[in-house]
Amino acid sequence: MSLKSSLGAWCLLVMISASQAQEVQFHAWGGSVQVNQYIQWLSKQASQELGISVNHVKLADTSDAVSRVLAEKAAGNTRQGSVDLIWLNGENFAAMKQHGLLHKGWVSGLTHFKLTNPAQNPGMTMDFGVPTDEQEAPWGKAALVFYYNQAHINQPPHTATELLDFARQHPGRFTYPLPVDYLGSSFLKYIAITQAGPWQSLLYAPVTDEARDKITERLFAYLDQLHPYLWHQGQQFKRQASGLQQLFSDHQTLLSFTFTAAEVPAAVSRYDLPASTRTYAMQDGSLSNVHFVAIAFNSAHKAQAIKLVNFMLSVPAQAYKQRADIWGDETVLDVSLLSGEQQALFVPITAAPSALPAGAYHKMLAEPHASWTEALKAAWFDRYQRHH
Amino acid sequence: MLFQRCLQLGWWLFALVLILPVLAGLLGMLLPAAGYFPALGYHSFSTVAIQALTVTPGLGKMVALSVSTALLSALLSLAGCIALLATFFQHRGLHRLQHLLSPVLVIPHAAAAIAVAFLLSPAGWLSRLVAPLFGWELPPAFSVLNDSAGLGMVLAFSLKELPFLLLVSLGILTQPALRHTLTRQVAVAQSLGYHPVTAFLKVVLPVLYPQLRLPLLAVLAYASASVEIPLILGPDNPPTLAVAILHWFNSVDLTDRLQASAGALLQVVTTVAVIALWLAGEWGLKSWFRHQITTGMRSTGRRGLPIVAGMTLAVFGVAMVTICASLILWSVATFWPYPSVLPNDITTIHWQLGLGQLSGPLANTLVLGAAVSLSAIVLVVLALEAGQSGRSPGFRLDSILFVPLIVPGIAFLYGLVWLAQLVAPKAVWIPVYLSHLVYVMPYVFLSVAVAYRQFDTRYLQVAASLGSRPFRVFYRIRLPMLFAPLMVAFALGLAISFSQYLPTLLAGGGQLATLTTEAVAISAGNSRRLAAVYVIMQMILPLAGFILAWWLPTLLFNPMTRRRG
Repeated sequence: MSLKSSLGAWCLLVMISASQAQEVQFHAWGGSVQVNQYIQWLSKQASQELGISVNHVKLADTSDAVSRVLAEKAAGNTRQGSVDLIWLNGENFAAMKQHGLLHKGWVSGLTHFKLTNPAQNPGMTMDFGVPTDEQEAPWGKAALVFYYNQAHINQPPHTATELLDFARQHPGRFTYPLPVDYLGSSFLKYIAITQAGPWQSLLYAPVTDEARDKITERLFAYLDQLHPYLWHQGQQFKRQASGLQQLFSDHQTLLSFTFTAAEVPAAVSRYDLPASTRTYAMQDGSLSNVHFVAIAFNSAHKAQAIKLVNFMLSVPAQAYKQRADIWGDETVLDVSLLSGEQQALFVPITAAPSALPAGAYHKMLAEPHASWTEALKAAWFDRYQRHH
Repeated sequence: MLFQRCLQLGWWLFALVLILPVLAGLLGMLLPAAGYFPALGYHSFSTVAIQALTVTPGLGKMVALSVSTALLSALLSLAGCIALLATFFQHRGLHRLQHLLSPVLVIPHAAAAIAVAFLLSPAGWLSRLVAPLFGWELPPAFSVLNDSAGLGMVLAFSLKELPFLLLVSLGILTQPALRHTLTRQVAVAQSLGYHPVTAFLKVVLPVLYPQLRLPLLAVLAYASASVEIPLILGPDNPPTLAVAILHWFNSVDLTDRLQASAGALLQVVTTVAVIALWLAGEWGLKSWFRHQITTGMRSTGRRGLPIVAGMTLAVFGVAMVTICASLILWSVATFWPYPSVLPNDITTIHWQLGLGQLSGPLANTLVLGAAVSLSAIVLVVLALEAGQSGRSPGFRLDSILFVPLIVPGIAFLYGLVWLAQLVAPKAVWIPVYLSHLVYVMPYVFLSVAVAYRQFDTRYLQVAASLGSRPFRVFYRIRLPMLFAPLMVAFALGLAISFSQYLPTLLAGGGQLATLTTEAVAISAGNSRRLAAVYVIMQMILPLAGFILAWWLPTLLFNPMTRRRG
């Protein structure tokens, strides 16, 4: 009896593995409830409208997928890769491009790519200073915004210099993630750019030893002053950005920051952040960047993946993504190219008190060249003797 | 004859499944550690991996953390276990204790870690309860969570391992022959004026401890090399060695894999060192303990041990109650500003959200658990039957049972994945199934073997003497009579499979989401409320399995209903 049922279980297993092989495996960071729900919506739409089934592989870290594709290439697997589509930008893109891990020359063929107006928007074809070369398609835009707990803080800091004063007045109530995390290295870049003074232009070219020394001297002068007043005196750092939000939620920190402004009101509506949370942008600039999707060189479902990306760039999918109550990720489409009816889809609905007010940005800071991410990270670990 | 063949085959399969993946995985780890990694352009053996490892900052601290937390938590849980046994040995309360503690055994480590994090967080319940005393308006800026000494980890390990050690001890002490002897010896000791607690220490413990040693070493090995609890409760910089290895293996920079493989080798050395330190400590204490037994002191430990037992029970009780209550509260909480002891209001949105996302992972978890558990039971029964009918080769199975439990998973699982990549790059379910089976089989074997040992073989002799063939005896007598213990073993197998984090994550390449992998991902995420929902589900699932296992046999084999039918 037990033999028979175990045979049955085996058949079931085989069937499930076979059906799974027909899905587009979309590897995307899975730490945000909103993003996950949006991707769930996306896969439902894709199966209804395109007949493509999409499986969201929820990554704890995008580099997991990068190293998986690398490992597959290393093992000689050039056609049966387990990663089809991958959500990435910056360092991860640069690494995959450099190792020849991406499918090439497919982006200009997307009918909706034109709507991003790439000729006028260099950000659509340039990822952290590295040309995309048709190996990835833009998906959304984001900028670094700060949020604070109004119940305990009257006046939040508006510049990096004011942030130092804030930390001194409220010791232990602010922190940033380890630079292995995306948000952690973004914080280092924000400080590096605002503190660089005359050397700022160095950050927009590939890193050299001399440039690194000039930039890090000022960066570390700042961090040396900041660290004693951080959460746990700067002796411990959260490894992931999501840990930062949890600290704020627990009232352990009173000031925090994120790359997805819409996450704040959404988290408040789920009770995950205090109702007294308020979002704002720094006066000395907000680090901003575009995020992309790419197809692995060894994907077995390239045609389906391309169709899916084209749908992701369509007006309905982009408008739905931008809705503050869904994800709130800014569209990459050039809205001025759209019809009046289509433009209306992008007009925001009345915002919650915790949401970023319209017109809150003072100044946008472009991402430094991709090589700076690793350079700043390595220098940081060297100086503060952490493990990575 | 076919039946005998099947038995032999089952025995060999059982042994192979236990040993082969571990050996293959170790080989896959050793080659890169020795500098041989053709895919990265390393074609000859060298010390490049070892060198990369030795220059890692904080390496010594990582190893020290792994060693100290493993030793400390094993020591604490052993002390608690001995104190409880000594105090309650001849007490009826011991069996009540057993029922109280067994649910803890089936809670996945990841769930236990997340639950302890809820309790000890600076904004957790304990902190809120004492906040008025200190006038705290905001959570304290210090915390025992993620502390650099790993105390939060030690607490979680001890809470998890104490019930395991206690239940194993009870299993040993309730063996009919042993129990009979020990009860009489204790009675003699008491008649000579020894206090019951002292009698336990001097008469029972010397018999119990040698049999408890192997499970204890498995506890030490697990605590020194597992990742779930350190990942959630341990410090981030530096983390324990096992967590650091996990990060290196997942690094974008593929050359970090060389360092990771060397690290995995170091992990094996570290685990061996932990075991060696324990055995050395044991050896050092032996002569002192021998001396103690024969001093003639009638009341050694008479005051201290009941206090330790009481404290253990108190810590355990308080932890369990507050953990359950705070998990339930968080899972339905709306806003919950800091020092409030209760949330502002309750809501079901976290449950709606959680259950909506859980259906896929839940189905994966159940299909996988059922398939793994069933195959484990089939193999174990065949192997045991082969052993009983004298069809097994010479060596005893017990000696290889602990192989997967003592070799650190982080050391062989990556090697296994690497080899699986070479053989079947697209396979997801089969590697996960196999890696679960490796961990499920030892527990299923231990659980079923007890029932086999207690089985009254005269039933089989009667059936055989009435002319039944071996298969018929097995099928008509043995299996129905073992139905209840087999169901319990099945539930145990399910529970072990449910709790696997690293094997699921690695062997499945992250593509196969189960309740446990999702819960760990969510606990690192931003919603404490959603994490509570996941952890509660993680705890309910194995318990539901056990409740079914206890209830089904009475339903199917109830003599009352049978007579009527």
